[in-house]
Amino acid sequence: MRNYLLILSVLMVTAIIVGTYYYQNLEHNYTLPQLNLRNNLQEETPNEIENTPLQPVNDDPISYSLQNDELTITYNKGKDWIKVPVDKNLLFNGEYQGNKQELIEGSYVLSEERLAFLYKQVGLNMKYTTDQGNTWQDSVIAEEFPELRFRKIAFLNDSFGYVIVSGDRTMSQEYSTVFLTFDSGKTWTKTEDPPTTRMIAFGSFVDEKTGFLSYGTINPEAPDVYVTQDGGKVWRHARLSIPAPYGKVFVQAEAPFIEEDHLAVLVNQGPNGDYEGGLVKGKFISKDNGLTWEFLQEVEPDEG
Amino acid sequence: MKDRAKWKKIVGWTLFLIAIGFFCLQMGFLFLHVRYQVEYIDNRIFYMINLLFVVFLAVALLVLLKLKNSHQVIIASIGVIFFLTNIVLLENSNQQIRNITSISPSLSKIFSVKENVQSGEAIYYRPYYGILARPKEVLENKINGNNKVKWLAKDIAVLTYKDKNGDIQQFVGTYGDRKGGLSYYYVGAEIHGVWQGDNVTVTSGPDGINVTVGNESELFSWENLEQFGTLAIVLKKDNEAVWTIALKENFEVHSDASKPTVGNISLYKATMEENQPIILNYIDSN
Repeated sequence: MRNYLLILSVLMVTAIIVGTYYYQNLEHNYTLPQLNLRNNLQEETPNEIENTPLQPVNDDPISYSLQNDELTITYNKGKDWIKVPVDKNLLFNGEYQGNKQELIEGSYVLSEERLAFLYKQVGLNMKYTTDQGNTWQDSVIAEEFPELRFRKIAFLNDSFGYVIVSGDRTMSQEYSTVFLTFDSGKTWTKTEDPPTTRMIAFGSFVDEKTGFLSYGTINPEAPDVYVTQDGGKVWRHARLSIPAPYGKVFVQAEAPFIEEDHLAVLVNQGPNGDYEGGLVKGKFISKDNGLTWEFLQEVEPDEG
Repeated sequence: MKDRAKWKKIVGWTLFLIAIGFFCLQMGFLFLHVRYQVEYIDNRIFYMINLLFVVFLAVALLVLLKLKNSHQVIIASIGVIFFLTNIVLLENSNQQIRNITSISPSLSKIFSVKENVQSGEAIYYRPYYGILARPKEVLENKINGNNKVKWLAKDIAVLTYKDKNGDIQQFVGTYGDRKGGLSYYYVGAEIHGVWQGDNVTVTSGPDGINVTVGNESELFSWENLEQFGTLAIVLKKDNEAVWTIALKENFEVHSDASKPTVGNISLYKATMEENQPIILNYIDSN
């Protein structure tokens, strides 16, 4: 008898504790009624939302917010906001996993001269303004494009810009390509396709003729870089001379950049690197505009 | 001695059964809560029932079982820890969701509004079976700070509060009807005529409702009236509540306009200060 009593008591106390814990965790979401809502609630809700103050996602001079399911831009740390006339979800179309609170890295340009956002419907488009949001234009980068994965848009000067995108991924193979504009984004032309279906990791152009695509994202064993020196007509394999001790250490080239009279690129250790903690990168330089690269030095992550 | 043991047993078992009762209530509640969005009319009740449950259970065990001292201490300690935890949770809960609960003077109705302290959003709850409630309506305006509840009749409660713009608002919870619940009717039309009380005259006419206090008169057109249930209307000006008019218990609504108006209405000013409703008598059909 005594044991039954004790067991029953322990069971009840346990159930109550579990129940309380459960109830406690529910508490936040059960304040909004979903029953017997007043009919005009739907009409009121948007107004309510608009009233919540927008918060820039970072402290940059030009920043944005994706609150209230809208993309809005601020030039003065959140005092004034400009709405971008684009459906927020189109900005995230394709392979994207996230909460849509921040734009996909590389998919936008925020500068004094230009705001530009890549988005995907059937084709690939860009919404942009060159007068700080007074007027907005749409341009078609590609009439059709498969399911988007990697995306990068950048402008090197007033007129020249590039878009590097990949899509249609199956396992670890995908299609990647480059579009260039020479008229500030009004029209775009596709370059020749690079001769690989590996997954793209980085890409960049350093001037109107010279561009790079770096491949290998999952288990790269050596940098795999293609370079064009004629604005994308021909893509050639760049040769990186990796000193023996760094073989299979520095495996994934990032985006090259111009440095003094040569080009430089940081090569990281890929997702699985463990050399010196895994974050040290190798710096390589090229004096023939990107065709061949020599190792220069190790770079601590914060120097890079 | 034998008697004492017998009584101990009876008391112990009674306490144990009561504890089981609380346990079943709580489990039943959790089921209803998850399934049908039923809540306690005041969120604190959940923790209070936990407290009662553990007190009854612990005392029942101590009375019923012949335990070693050390075991008694263990049971008592578990009880105390559980008790204190629930006190903390209770406090905590009330800081997240503020319960505005008021029981009618006749103890038969409960007015319940729960306010999300962080967002200021307030939801009106309709009571079921005494202590349970379900969300009914989101208050049009968010509550900012103080508020007060006044019962204007046994089935009419007015919540007066300031919204986030600092404007005074009134929300009326109604729990009855003056026409046997058969059909909807408009309070403004039912009180057609002239009503008089202490230094106050209310006239409901074709243009709206005119309220005269002393020498000052103000007309509220029909667009500026908000009706709650079939018992009360709030007269508004510039999006701010000014008066609430409620039908007293003795007010009779009848479809036949030729029958005389019977009963009183109550006029209640929207102010954060402590004030009493004014009872008005029917004077004239205008």
